[in-house]
Amino acid sequence: MTLILYCLLILAVSIPLMLALARFKKISAHVYLGSLVVACALGLFSASGVLSRGIAPVDFRLAGTIPLGEFYIGMDALSAFFLLLFFILSLAAGIYGYGYMRDYKGGRNLPAHFSLCHLLMIVIILVVVAKNAVLFLAAWELMTLASYFLITFYNEHERVRKAGYVFLIATHTGTFCLLGMFLLMGVHAGSMDFDRMAMAPFPLGMAAGIFVLAFLGFGVKAGFIPLHVWLPHAHPEAPTHVSALLSGVVIKIGIYGLIRIMSIVKDFPLWCGIVLLATGIVSGVAGVLYALGQHEIKKLLAYHSIENIGIITLGLGIGMIGRYYHQDTVSYIGYAAALLHTFNHAVFKGLLFLSAGTVIRSTHTGEMDHMGGLLKWLPWTGHLFLIGSLSICGLPLFNGFISEWLVFRSLLEGVFHLDMCGIIFSTAAIVALGLIGGLAALCFAKAFGTVFLGHNRSEHEHHHNMEGDFVLVAPVAMLAALCLWVGLFPQEMVSYAFQGVKSMEGAAVPVVFRQAILGPLLSVTKVLFAGIAIFLFFALLRRIFLGACRVTWTETWGCGHAYTSSKMQYTASSFARPVLKIFRSVVLFRIKSEIPKRYFPAAGQLNSGVKDISEYFVFRPVFYAVKKVSRGLKWIQGGRTQSYILYILFLLVVLLIWKLR
Amino acid sequence: MNSFIYHLGILLVFPPLLLGVIGKTKAFFAGRWGPPLLQGYYDIFKLGRKQPVYSVTTNWIFRMGPMISTAAILAAGIVLPISGLKAPVQFGGDMILFVYLLALSRFFMVLAALDTGSSFEGMGASREATFACLSEITIFLNLAILALLSKSLSLSGIFLGGLSSSWGQVGPVLILVVVSFFLVLLCENSRIPVDDPETHLELTMIHEVMVLDHSAAELALIVYGQALKLFLFGCLIVSMIFSFKIRNIAAEAAFFTSGFFGLGIAIGIVESAMARLRLNRVLYVLYAAFIFSIFAFIVILVRGHA
Repeated sequence: MTLILYCLLILAVSIPLMLALARFKKISAHVYLGSLVVACALGLFSASGVLSRGIAPVDFRLAGTIPLGEFYIGMDALSAFFLLLFFILSLAAGIYGYGYMRDYKGGRNLPAHFSLCHLLMIVIILVVVAKNAVLFLAAWELMTLASYFLITFYNEHERVRKAGYVFLIATHTGTFCLLGMFLLMGVHAGSMDFDRMAMAPFPLGMAAGIFVLAFLGFGVKAGFIPLHVWLPHAHPEAPTHVSALLSGVVIKIGIYGLIRIMSIVKDFPLWCGIVLLATGIVSGVAGVLYALGQHEIKKLLAYHSIENIGIITLGLGIGMIGRYYHQDTVSYIGYAAALLHTFNHAVFKGLLFLSAGTVIRSTHTGEMDHMGGLLKWLPWTGHLFLIGSLSICGLPLFNGFISEWLVFRSLLEGVFHLDMCGIIFSTAAIVALGLIGGLAALCFAKAFGTVFLGHNRSEHEHHHNMEGDFVLVAPVAMLAALCLWVGLFPQEMVSYAFQGVKSMEGAAVPVVFRQAILGPLLSVTKVLFAGIAIFLFFALLRRIFLGACRVTWTETWGCGHAYTSSKMQYTASSFARPVLKIFRSVVLFRIKSEIPKRYFPAAGQLNSGVKDISEYFVFRPVFYAVKKVSRGLKWIQGGRTQSYILYILFLLVVLLIWKLR
Repeated sequence: MNSFIYHLGILLVFPPLLLGVIGKTKAFFAGRWGPPLLQGYYDIFKLGRKQPVYSVTTNWIFRMGPMISTAAILAAGIVLPISGLKAPVQFGGDMILFVYLLALSRFFMVLAALDTGSSFEGMGASREATFACLSEITIFLNLAILALLSKSLSLSGIFLGGLSSSWGQVGPVLILVVVSFFLVLLCENSRIPVDDPETHLELTMIHEVMVLDHSAAELALIVYGQALKLFLFGCLIVSMIFSFKIRNIAAEAAFFTSGFFGLGIAIGIVESAMARLRLNRVLYVLYAAFIFSIFAFIVILVRGHA
């Protein structure tokens, strides 16, 4: 615990230091980098220590520091698991951010930006280690504010300001639900401490109420469909290293909150699990379908975060259902799958966002249909993006496969061990996860294919190659190495995930379940190495066959066209069209075109895109209605301090009467 | 280790034979003598000795793609039992590895196609990936049904005895699953009515157009990989049909071989009797396969077999 406190201290001290040194930009940036590396190293050491030993350190408590609550923090394996992924990603994104912002020429105050990054780190750590609801809420609120200011860094653009605004409203609505939820729990348990809450038995009715509030409150942060509307706006607009943190960590804190509540309340009615599972299915499938319809690379990645949150939720949902039926195999494996996928997603999404950032910086555009053939020009970034793509599609050799396999495994266990209702839902989830996998592969074939393969689609020259910069490549390469390591040797991370499940369930995971997972994973590794050996054999065979041959290099065959142009290539939009056409009624896929007519054709145009149903048909009407109502109530908030004081007086009088009665 | 070698040996040697059987059947229906039964092998060796032509647009992905792809299919074969032969590696949940290795193979073929920057290949890649999404969900549903019936999570458990009593109890379910798998097989392996494997030209804008620019050793590997994939899907179907145990290796091998010849002839008959469907009709084949397997699932639930 002391290590985490030191880590917090270092971050906290460096903030005023950076601000004080704001005039010396270089020194201030070095302070940022130094404090980041030291803090992350301490944090990683402490979190991995808890996970590998399985013993939680002594809690730290400063009594009476906050009204009603106290500064009470502790790190069980669950917190340690989330801290582990948080520190890994913060380290990578932080170093990248240092390099990314180094040649920023705009008028913004960079030390302030870096201080906000540190503040975000501090409050995220506090959220994860808080053992008191008041402290949790305070840190949660600060996290929202810090993210808001980080998102609106480029606030000279109107859409950035709007994205920040949507984010602020959405997350505050969520916080409102959380406030109600913690009040409900605190009043019932008689304490705001999580430990005391966990001891109080919650009746099923109340558990259902808590679940609904937690689902809304944390779901907004995590980006469950249909609560996700802020996410595809906010993530692409932020500076890249912030996007990576938002997609990799901040939305995972929503998942963390949900898991924390599940570890406190424990027993929920059956429908709660089913709601989670159904949310997982909807978020997963719709998330990837919306991603397919995007033309902008960061927006595509943002929608993929929703898809992966869906996969995580599938694991949580089947775990909750399994718990209701007292089928420990189902619930333990489901929870472990959710935790592991949380970790994996943080790693590969960070990897993808950061390498996309380098692409955007180098080409000065995010439009995929303007890129092409970048693998030759940005080889490092290209190959790292390929590794990220393979991981996020859940393809074998990389970490995504391991966690998706675990989710599948828990669903299959669900098919075996549950009753009729459980079988139907787990089979539906298996089919949905299969669909998600296929669509994700399509989407990343599209993204990688259009950006990095083929010919370049834009005429103008590239601006500058950002790849020579070591600090932009090294952190991304570290994440890629982690993807491969977990994909080939998953034992370590799986047992960490089981430690997390242990502190979630309050009981050690039986050795049988561990073996039921670790044994097969060893066999997976065996098959994968056999596959690699076969590949090498084929490569050798090809070398032998081609050894004597003369190799001819020529243009791609154009089926008789003599002068093919790079514009004739398949674009991202055309690649995704067939599948979007199949699902056109689900994602509102529309193509508008103006076809050139007559003998001397004028300019034509073609527009294709998807529309977010929940944004256009749920939230817009609701918020317009809210706006209308609040316009009508404007007279209450007239802007005069005197009348506000009068309101306070009225309220006091009412309270006095109520008390005296 | 020995079982690894036997298994890989079978997978390396036999698949092209299936292509020969299909070819002979089609020739019979066309009233021709047709290519020899071993034509698949001749083709592969002929292609292997040719000079390669590469496009200057391409990267290593174009050249390595076929190798990675075929290696992934072969690795998928490691977890699939062949005839009475147990898979060298089996574990609970290996069916997922099987499907995902096939997906890996497809992913690299799609990337290799996009690497050429040709619009034809982009078109093929896009369609291949689209249809794969739909056939994958059918495979998953079918495998979940089989797991439910056989109470086993591994392919070896399902096909080596797990289903032996099911034909008597829920035969119709298995028939539905077999039909559904057969439709998926036609689609995944780009056979008529989905795609025409006879030509590489634009007329068949799905799988075959995806490999338009490949030549020489890579094309040989692709042809072999195709045959191998067909063989693996064939294995699924044949071992479902002959799921009873005889405990006699020779008899089992005989059953299995005859099953394979039967499958080859069935594919040949379908190819002779049907024309290639229009592209938008291909979806209906996949929908049909999915609906068959949903029916099978419902029947199992209603029967309370679970």
